[in-house]
Amino acid sequence: MRWILALCLCVWTAAAAAAPPVRVGVLAYRGGDHAIAVWEPTIRYLADRLPGRGAVMVPLDLAGIEAAVRERSIDFVLTNTGQYVDLEARHGITRIATLRSHRAGRDGGAIGSAILVRADDARLRTLADLDGRRLAAVDGDAFGGFQVAWGELLEAGVDPFRGGGTLFTGFPLDRVVLAVRDGAADAGIVRACLLEEMAAEGRIDAGSFRVLAPRSVPGFGCAVSTRLYPDWPFSRLADTPEDLAKAVVIALLEMPVDHPAAQAAGTAGWAVPLDYQPVHALFQTLGIGPYRNLRPASVIDLLRAHWHWLAIGGVGLLWWVVHVVRVEHLVKRRTAELRAANRDLQQEMAERRRAQEESRRRQIEMDHVARLSILGEMASNLAHELNQPLAAITNYARGCARRLDAGTADPAELVEATRAISAQAERAAQIIQRIRDFVRKRAPLVEPMDVNAAVLAARALCDSRARGAGVTLRLALADGLPPVAADRLQIEQVVLNLILNALDAMAEAAPADPTVTLTTHAGDGRVELAVADHGPGLAPHLRDRLFEPFFTTKPQGMGLGLSICRTIVEAHGGRLWAEDNPDGGLVMRVSLPASEKEAS
Amino acid sequence: MTDLPSPTVYVVDDDEAVRTSLAWLIGSVGLAVRAFGSADAFLAAWTEERPGCLVLDVRMPGMSGLELQEALARRGSSLPVIIVTGHADVPMAVRALKAGAIDFIEKPFNDQLLLDRIQDAVKRSQAAFAGQARRARVQSLLARLTPRERQVAELVAAGKPNKVIAFELDLSMKTVEVHRHNAMDKLEVASVADLTRLFMEAGPA
Repeated sequence: MRWILALCLCVWTAAAAAAPPVRVGVLAYRGGDHAIAVWEPTIRYLADRLPGRGAVMVPLDLAGIEAAVRERSIDFVLTNTGQYVDLEARHGITRIATLRSHRAGRDGGAIGSAILVRADDARLRTLADLDGRRLAAVDGDAFGGFQVAWGELLEAGVDPFRGGGTLFTGFPLDRVVLAVRDGAADAGIVRACLLEEMAAEGRIDAGSFRVLAPRSVPGFGCAVSTRLYPDWPFSRLADTPEDLAKAVVIALLEMPVDHPAAQAAGTAGWAVPLDYQPVHALFQTLGIGPYRNLRPASVIDLLRAHWHWLAIGGVGLLWWVVHVVRVEHLVKRRTAELRAANRDLQQEMAERRRAQEESRRRQIEMDHVARLSILGEMASNLAHELNQPLAAITNYARGCARRLDAGTADPAELVEATRAISAQAERAAQIIQRIRDFVRKRAPLVEPMDVNAAVLAARALCDSRARGAGVTLRLALADGLPPVAADRLQIEQVVLNLILNALDAMAEAAPADPTVTLTTHAGDGRVELAVADHGPGLAPHLRDRLFEPFFTTKPQGMGLGLSICRTIVEAHGGRLWAEDNPDGGLVMRVSLPASEKEAS
Repeated sequence: MTDLPSPTVYVVDDDEAVRTSLAWLIGSVGLAVRAFGSADAFLAAWTEERPGCLVLDVRMPGMSGLELQEALARRGSSLPVIIVTGHADVPMAVRALKAGAIDFIEKPFNDQLLLDRIQDAVKRSQAAFAGQARRARVQSLLARLTPRERQVAELVAAGKPNKVIAFELDLSMKTVEVHRHNAMDKLEVASVADLTRLFMEAGPA
C-alpha cells in the first residue's frame, strides 16, 4: 500500500544559501510526472520568491504526505481538501491559501463530485437509483473523487459500501472512467471537471457518459452531482516558521492570474484561505478523517481498519477451531481407548471370576476326592464299624426269637433287648450319616467351630481302625478352647488324615507303647492341635518334603494327604508342621487362629 | 460224671453292644455266659475250674486276641477258643488256629452256626474235664497198691495167667493169688476185664 513515488528533487537556488531549501509536499494524485507537470512551476515560482532558501517539491501520495507531516520532513503541504481537513485536525497544519479555480462557484467552492454513468444506461436517473449498484471510485480517501459523493449518496439513502459495493480502482483517476465505460461498474465517482478535462484532452468521448443528477451551480463550469467544497489549500505545518509562512502566503497571493505557474496548475492563482468548515461537517457525517471514531462503523470499515486484528483473530479462531477439533479428536480417541481398556478390564475380571470359580470348584472337587480317598482307605474299617451295631442287632433279635421259641422268654428281659436293638440301629444310622457328611461334595462353610469336636468326630471315624491295629487313641483335650473360624469338615479331614498317618507309622514300627496322643490347647490367640505317634519318625531331609504333593513314604500312598492338609490349614490362616516326638516318633502340629465369635 | 461243674461261655469283646448282645444270644440256649471288655479283665477273673469256651474278638486295643490265646496256653489251659472277627484276615486266622483256636468265625455270622460251634466246644471241654476226672480217680486207686500188688495187677491186666506171673516174678502161685486178690479189692474191680479197662484209662504209665 505504502508506496512512495519516485522522489524528484528540483532545486532552484538564486544564490548560495546557508538555509536548506523549503520543502513542499505535493499530492501526486495522478502520478509523479503529472504532479511535476502541474505544480513544478508553482514551486519554482516560490523558490524565486524566497531568495536565500529556494524550494523543493516533494511529490507524495496520500499516505506519503501523512507520513511526511508526521515526521516533519516537509515545511508546507499542498494536498487535497479532504486530506487537509484530516491533517489539520490531527497534526495541526494550517491552510494559508486556497487555490483559486477558474470554474469556482460564486461562493469560491470548486470541489465536487461527478457521478458518471454510461450515457446509454437508462435505468439510472437519480442518486437513489444507485442503491445496490456497483460503483467505482479512485480511492476511499479521495475527497472530490469519493468522499463528497459519499455524503451526497448517504443523503439520498444509498450506502456505497452496501449492495454492489464500490470498486476502488486506485490512481490514476482515468481508471474509474474506464471501469464505467467497460461495464466493470454501473457508476463512477470522479472529481468534478475530470470528465471535461479528459474529453478536452481527447482521451474519452464525452458523449458516451452522462453525469447523474447534475446540479446547477452558478459560476461553476463543470457538470457536478454534488454541492461544492473549497479547492486545495496550501498549508504550513504547525512548526513551520511564521516568517517563512508569511513570505510564502504573500508570494502565493501575489501570483498573477496569468502566471505560467497558475496556468500550469490550471488555476487562477491563489486566494485567501476559504472556510473549510463544510468539509469538517461532511467528514463528521461520514465519520471519516479526524471523525473516524464517531462514525457508527460499518463492518467493511471495521474490516478495513482492523483487518490485521481480524486476521490475527481469524488465525486465532482458526487455531482454536483446529485445537478444538484436535482436542475433540483426541478426546474421542482417548475415550475409545478407555472404552476398549474398560472392556478389556471387564473381560479380564470376568475371566478372573471364572478362574476363581473354577479354582474354587476344583478345590471343592479335590477336597471331595481327598475325603473319598481317605474314606476309601478306611472302607474296611468303616464296614467293620457298621458291622458292629448290625451284629449286635442280629444277636439281640435271634436271642429274643430263641427265647420265645423255647418259651423261656422273660418279658422284662425282652423289653431290655428290644431297647438295645433300637439303640444299635440308631448307632448304625449315625455312622452312615457321619460318612455321608464326610464325603458330601460341598462348598466350604467357614463358621466358628470347636477343634475338640472335630477331633472327636475324626476319632469316631477311625476308632475301629485304631483298635484293629491295636493302637490306643489317647485324648488330651483342653477345656474351654476358644472357637476357630473354619470349615468343620475340612478340619475333621485334616485331623483324620493325621491320625491315619500316625496309625500307619505305628503299624510299621510295632512300638512298645502303641498309643497315638491327640492334644489340643489354646494360647496366644491360637488353637493348637498335636497328633503324636511313636512310629519310626522321619529323617530331617524327608521332613522338608513331607508336604510336597505326591511325596509319600507309604507303599500304597498317593502322597496327596498332607499336601491337601497343609493347603486346608493355610487357607484357614493356620500352619501345619512336623516335629520330632521326644518319646520317639513324630508329632504333627496344627495351629489355627482363634476366632472372636462364639462357636455356633 | 454228673458231679462235673456246669459249663460257662466267656465272651471277650471291647464293643459293649456286641459283647452284651452275644451274651444275650448265647444265653438263649441256656448256657451261662460271662462277658469281659478286654483280655486283661478276662484273665484276671478266669480260673480253669469249670468247662466252657471262650468267644474272642481278635481285634482289640490293649492285649489282642492272639496274645490272650498265648497267655492261656502258657497257663496250660484247655479252654476251647472260638475267634470271632469282622475281617477275614487269612494270616491272622492261621496264627489263631496255630495258637490253638478250634474255630474261626467271620462276622456277620449265622447265629445257629455260632451256637453249634459253642455247643461243640463246650462238649469238648466237658469231655476233657470228665476224662481228667477219671484219670485222677484211677491214679488215686492205684496209689493204694503196694509195689508188689501193682506189679501183679499190671501183669494180670496184661492178660497173663497166675503161673506165668509167679514164674516171672519168682513168686509162689499162692503169693501171686493173694496179691491179685488184694489189688482187685483195693482197685474196686470185680473182673479181669474191669481191671484191664482201668489201666487203659490211666493211660501210659
